[in-house]
Amino acid sequence: MAEPIDEATIVAWVDGELDEAAAARAAFAVEHDPALAEIAERHRRMKARFAAAFGPIADEAVAMPAPASATIHSLDAARHRRATGRAVWPRWAMPGAIAASLLVGLMIGHGMNGGAGVGDSPEALALSRPIATALDRQLSGESGTVRVALSFRNRDGDLCRSFAAAHLSGVACRAGDGWQLRYGSPNTAPDGAYRMAGGDAGEMRFVQSVIAGEPLDRAGEMAARAKQWAR
Amino acid sequence: MDEIERALASMLPRLRRFAHGLARDRADADDLTQAAAERILKSRAQWRPGTSFDAWAYRILRNLWIDTTRSRRRHDAVLAPEEQGLSVGAAGEAEANVELGYLMRAMARLPEEQREAVALVMIEGLAYAEAAEVLDIPIGTLTSRLVRGRQALMAMLED
Repeated sequence: MAEPIDEATIVAWVDGELDEAAAARAAFAVEHDPALAEIAERHRRMKARFAAAFGPIADEAVAMPAPASATIHSLDAARHRRATGRAVWPRWAMPGAIAASLLVGLMIGHGMNGGAGVGDSPEALALSRPIATALDRQLSGESGTVRVALSFRNRDGDLCRSFAAAHLSGVACRAGDGWQLRYGSPNTAPDGAYRMAGGDAGEMRFVQSVIAGEPLDRAGEMAARAKQWAR
Repeated sequence: MDEIERALASMLPRLRRFAHGLARDRADADDLTQAAAERILKSRAQWRPGTSFDAWAYRILRNLWIDTTRSRRRHDAVLAPEEQGLSVGAAGEAEANVELGYLMRAMARLPEEQREAVALVMIEGLAYAEAAEVLDIPIGTLTSRLVRGRQALMAMLED
């Protein structure tokens, strides 16, 4: 305990910004001084509280701006547009059934990268949050980091949706209160071209083999979304 | 998607979280995110390959926010967050959102320079050096704003 430790040092220690020697000094000081220990604990608690409240925001899918709207670049303009309720539709947005017929050549994936692959468990095919959130919220054709192209009911009566995310595209169906992958392939869109959700030939054949009736139209999707995509 | 669009798409959720750290309510944060994303695509030629895309994107959003608050202060001197109680919340907010709204209002009461430092480090998890680069300030300035901002927040939240 050579030099006194100030609050800035404690904060830097909590943030993991101290080098090894300085961190060891801070740890020692905190261990031997209840007042410092309390300061450290309060900072740690506040940091955790902010992480808990703000963290989930970064798990939510966010719509990419449509190319056509690139002229709007102030917060007030964006607010005005939201207030007037004018939807901006990107060029690639089109009825799902048509989108599904536009094929992009794709390799069908065999196998997964080692390590944390798909396991043999009931949750093995459950989709994680960013994709599941997009499937919950987005209507077909809306832009986003995850794009949804098509919604339909399968022969078991479950609602299914085809999607394309950054690395994975495929078809998911509602299972319980989540989404389960029923067809998937790696997304290997070439540079410079938007990958069309609604996918490759294999995906098309899959959809045709399980679809009951016609794909949902926009009104049908909105109604299904309002019912949380339940049967 | 080209390189910029891909980088933006993968960063957009974090950019939106940062916007929540700066703006005083969620609607403003979403509008700010969209406006920043549009400006990023529009001024893509200004990004220099080899430099950090994330830092550039954070900076664009932050500058947009500063411009907005400045012009708003000129046009309308309406809502001063300092005059609102922290517990003011929109009716019907879900519980998790009540907490988020509460913390956002506490952030909104910080001076701008402290708020952006806290948002980048404590909410976005940037290293001090990265945050200082985004804000274009020396690291010592960053740490002192950060500590003062956190002390002020603590005083507000622990009352």
